[in-house]
Amino acid sequence: MTTQRTSGRRKQAAAAAAVVAALLTTAACGGGGDDSSGGGSKSSAAAGFDAANNKVAQASEAKKGGTLKFASSQDADSWDTTRGYYGFMWNFSRYYSRQLVTNKVEPGATGAEVTPDLATGLAEVSDDGKTYTYTLRDDVTWEDGKPITSKDVKYGIERVWAQDVLSGGPTYLKEVLDPKGEYQGPYKDKDKDKLGLKVIETPDDKTIVFKLPQANSDFESMLALTSASPVRQDKDTKSKYGLRPFSSGPYKFESYSPGKDLVLVRNTEWKQDSDPVRKAYPDKITIKFFSNANDLDARLIAGDYDMDLAQTGMSPQGRTTALQEHKGNLDNPISGYIRYASFPQNVKPFDNIHCRKAVIYGADHVSLQTARGGPVAGGDIGTNMLPPAVPGSEGQKYDPYDIAGANKNGNVEKAKEELKACGKPNGFKTTIAVRNNKPVEVATAESMQASLKKVGIDVEISQYDGAQYASVIGSPSNVEKKGYGIIIMGWGPDFPSVQGYGLPLWHSDYILDSANNNFALIKDKKIDGLFADYVNTLDDEGKAKIATEINHKVMEGGYYLPFVFEKFLNWRGSRLANVYTTDAYSGMYDFVNLGLKSTK
Amino acid sequence: MTAPLHEPTAEAAPSAAEEAAVAGAETKAVQGRSLGRIAWERLKRDKLALTGGIVVLFLIVVAVLAPLITSLYGQDPDVYNESMIDPLFGTPKGALGGIGGDHWLGVEPVNGRDIFARIVHGARISLLVGFLSALVAVVLGTILGVLAGFFGGWVDAVVSRVMDGLLAFPQLLFIIALVSVMPDSMLGLSGTGVRLLMMILVIGFFGWPYIGRVVRGQTLSMREREYVEAARSLGAGRFYILFKELLPNLVAPIIVYTTMMIPTNILTEAALSFLGVGVKPPTSSWGQMLSSAIDYYKSDPMYMVIPGVAIFITVLAFNLFGDGVRDALDPKGSR
Amino acid sequence: MLAYLIRRLFAATVMLVVIILVVFGIFFLVPKWAGVDIATSFVGKQADPAAVEGVRQKLGLSDPVFVQAWEFFKGIFLGRTYAAGGDVTECAAPCFGYSFRTEQAVWPVLTERFPVTLGLALGAAVLWLIFGLAAGVLSALKRGSLWDRGAMVVALAGVSLPIYFTGLLSLAIFSYGLGWLNGEFVPLEDSLTGWLGGMILPWITLAFLYAAMYARITRATMMEILGEDYIRTARAKGLREQVVIRKHAMRSTLTPLLTMLGMDLGALMGGAILTETTFSLPGLGQKVLDAIKNQDLPFILGVVLITSLAVLIANLVVDVLYAVIDPRVRLA
Repeated sequence: MTTQRTSGRRKQAAAAAAVVAALLTTAACGGGGDDSSGGGSKSSAAAGFDAANNKVAQASEAKKGGTLKFASSQDADSWDTTRGYYGFMWNFSRYYSRQLVTNKVEPGATGAEVTPDLATGLAEVSDDGKTYTYTLRDDVTWEDGKPITSKDVKYGIERVWAQDVLSGGPTYLKEVLDPKGEYQGPYKDKDKDKLGLKVIETPDDKTIVFKLPQANSDFESMLALTSASPVRQDKDTKSKYGLRPFSSGPYKFESYSPGKDLVLVRNTEWKQDSDPVRKAYPDKITIKFFSNANDLDARLIAGDYDMDLAQTGMSPQGRTTALQEHKGNLDNPISGYIRYASFPQNVKPFDNIHCRKAVIYGADHVSLQTARGGPVAGGDIGTNMLPPAVPGSEGQKYDPYDIAGANKNGNVEKAKEELKACGKPNGFKTTIAVRNNKPVEVATAESMQASLKKVGIDVEISQYDGAQYASVIGSPSNVEKKGYGIIIMGWGPDFPSVQGYGLPLWHSDYILDSANNNFALIKDKKIDGLFADYVNTLDDEGKAKIATEINHKVMEGGYYLPFVFEKFLNWRGSRLANVYTTDAYSGMYDFVNLGLKSTK
Repeated sequence: MTAPLHEPTAEAAPSAAEEAAVAGAETKAVQGRSLGRIAWERLKRDKLALTGGIVVLFLIVVAVLAPLITSLYGQDPDVYNESMIDPLFGTPKGALGGIGGDHWLGVEPVNGRDIFARIVHGARISLLVGFLSALVAVVLGTILGVLAGFFGGWVDAVVSRVMDGLLAFPQLLFIIALVSVMPDSMLGLSGTGVRLLMMILVIGFFGWPYIGRVVRGQTLSMREREYVEAARSLGAGRFYILFKELLPNLVAPIIVYTTMMIPTNILTEAALSFLGVGVKPPTSSWGQMLSSAIDYYKSDPMYMVIPGVAIFITVLAFNLFGDGVRDALDPKGSR
Repeated sequence: MLAYLIRRLFAATVMLVVIILVVFGIFFLVPKWAGVDIATSFVGKQADPAAVEGVRQKLGLSDPVFVQAWEFFKGIFLGRTYAAGGDVTECAAPCFGYSFRTEQAVWPVLTERFPVTLGLALGAAVLWLIFGLAAGVLSALKRGSLWDRGAMVVALAGVSLPIYFTGLLSLAIFSYGLGWLNGEFVPLEDSLTGWLGGMILPWITLAFLYAAMYARITRATMMEILGEDYIRTARAKGLREQVVIRKHAMRSTLTPLLTMLGMDLGALMGGAILTETTFSLPGLGQKVLDAIKNQDLPFILGVVLITSLAVLIANLVVDVLYAVIDPRVRLA
């Protein structure tokens, strides 16, 4: 009896294993051997590899109407124009919000320039560079048909001051207009119209005047940020505004359910002739949020969706499939980001420049590049700290440590020389701090660990909760306490200028007790001085020259080990027309004027 | 056999096991063979369970000797082999994920770490969590189950309620919640250590009612048995009876339920690592390998298949062995 | 009966309070004891000190612990308001927390997502009960047959495979590979066929594991019962085999399975998390994982609390039903 059952079970087990094996084989083959299903048939008209990278693909084929479908594995930090800081949110927000000025709707570097939007023209700037005056266009309206006034613009900007309620967004305007922090924000404003901010004047409904305490040559770029959008006071739902922003653009919110989906429909009160920027091709724009990034990519490739909202590149599997089978749907733009390691000077022995240089020379830069995803999906080996999209950048031409040249696989000898000069001929021990929610960053830390071992630098990897970054690595005292000699991070420009990129990283005023980004604790009078010159320099050539100079000073200090000038591999759906990447949003596609080839 | 006919299986299992125990005791008197011996005889005849047992033993040996095995094999689980990686796609060069003489099971995409070495080291995590959390469950379950069964009254009422409650709760959710609010370092441990400890304690904590329920039922019915009565009438203390008379009879059901629990624990650990709340990199774990393999399910399917199969084989082996042990100790073979 | 009901209700109420307190402890006391700043983890990424202070005020984190616990407790039944810096946020009862990251009260979001999870769980439960029971009963009746062996092979594989692994395989094979089902979720209100099409793979995936488990248990239970005296008696009485099985054996087999079903509700939630993640179903499980990724504690807390309570209530109902069916339980 028992024996009989047992023999039955033995076969069962063997067969169970066989079933699984068969399933696996089917999965592997089923996956590989199918090029023709779904995606193939729909992607007949892809524009070609890199067809939209810094140029416009298929502009003439855009038709009015249809539903433009975004997919994303990540929701925005907030859709509130004051609170959003994610690049794709700024990009997408142009559908439903307008500013006095905005970025040009043109590919590449031109896209980063500023053009009038709500305003009739660019600012009239006084000779001392401290007064900016704008006049609003006629016929600019909210989604309920009421006109957008200069007071709405002022109120929208004032919201930046209410950081305790509306946290998250960029605060440049607050720092430039009110460096002493005197204004309390509109919610604590005693003025009856809540318009108590003295430095912005609204003499009439069409005119707005900014009176800067100090000149800043990037001020107009700051006004082009989403955080300078108008907000109408009676529609301001404070912390909940992001769930249903009140539209000033060609589309308005129909529904939004965070982490699930978002639907925009045409704002019928928006008038095409009041808007020199937006074409508003589709009738409807949807975002669907996915929890499985692979699923998302599979659906993009199948043609179920047109574009990835987050624009941070495809997942490894989607990337491989797309490169092998649908290369014509891909663009490989340079993002504005640099991925790097930074060396806090308050952690010994990184107070000594030679020990910092030892790490720079000792690291294997090709291995770091591979960890980031290789030359296509990861980017070119980074050689300095100014992103290629920022005026004044020299790209790989400036390579003071031969990172992309002779030393690209690490130079053990040079590293050891530097160690000797540092007084640590036998190497030392230190800790790398890295976010635990970014597998790629962990991979770069592990790569550094492996290559630095060869020069005698013993590295321990400490992963911290990525969400807590402000209090973990953003607190210099905590960094010192934990002995984080190497911090792995990435940074992209908020607006393409050395100020929009490097000020929080390199200026001594930006060393903060928490949420610090000047990890290396750079206190260089020359760098601070160059930034001061920069804000007073009004011509573009002069600005670029200073940017170059700042970059050189930073690199000479050996505060950073750049990994890559980041590149993305982004999917361009075959239904899309008028597609191009823009430096305004770090190499993303410009969303606002995307159109569909067919409205079906 | 006095148990009511409509007793749910949950109760039927102990009563059957108990019968086995009694049967064992009787045989002992007659033939001089212990229950353990009988069970072993039966188990020996059950080829499949034996195979399962051998695989389990083998896995234990592999886990214990993991560092030795990998050093003999010549690959470190944490070392990068970028030369094995295609820089464009980030996937291993060569067919089947880089399987070859140097790397028996190929290498991981992106960094080229050796998969065989990582699987071997991953076995440690799986088995460590599987066994230790079962141990936690057994210790808690036995103590509380015996207490409830032996003392009855309000002790029994409280313990039983708590067991019912815990059994019904969304364990995985609770574990995820706990792990996600826990800091990265505590009690002198950091990183993986903290996570391991957390997983063992929490999985074990949610597992004890399974053991507790059985032990309680067993104790309850045995309390009234003649030999316990006899011991009591001879003036034996309550705790003496507890240890001397009850515990040996609980061994069989505890062993059965423990072997059944270990594979579940292993799956839970894998699921937690899969969801990103398990051990931390670079420590290798099968669930974590599976979760990163998703990104390459098509371009490097072997990377997904290998840890998947490792989990499958391990769990299958434990299940087979568990089935066999149950059959051996409990010939009536309910659950 | 009434006394029993009151007793059970009382016990359930005690459990309810205990659960709320335990959850509060996990999320507010444990991090505090471990030295994590709760306000910071509630704010997240761009932790501007002003924003952290705002959340600290809103949550009342500087109040004594028992006041916080009371507010938390009260919120569930009466709702609560969070106020700081001129911004007042209402969280209507039942307030299971408020996410400062998405600026949403937890309860409405979860109730909106609940139908998806319910649909997943119910559909899967129907599938696994039908297939699990059928396979188990048939196997028990035709013990040793080809069918029995085949079914048990699949069942053995089923209980030994991780659910996310089978999910991925089924997506890879049926959706991306063969292109039969696109496996994308469509709300039931939009289209019945679309919904069915999107749910089939998740149902099968989730049901596979449980069907395997139930098949094994049904087979074992059924076999045991078929050996019982009363079945022999029934047969000896000359009853037709069909009647014996349907009237006597099946009924005894079902009772323990129903008990199990009640207990598996909690475990099912775990399976749902994994399934929803794999198939991008916008249910509770997906929200939990989202919340973990974004460190959105209020949502984790809310889901834990609500599912615990749901299980508690479900078990209360099961208990009461049992008491109705089987009078002996009332005395226990």
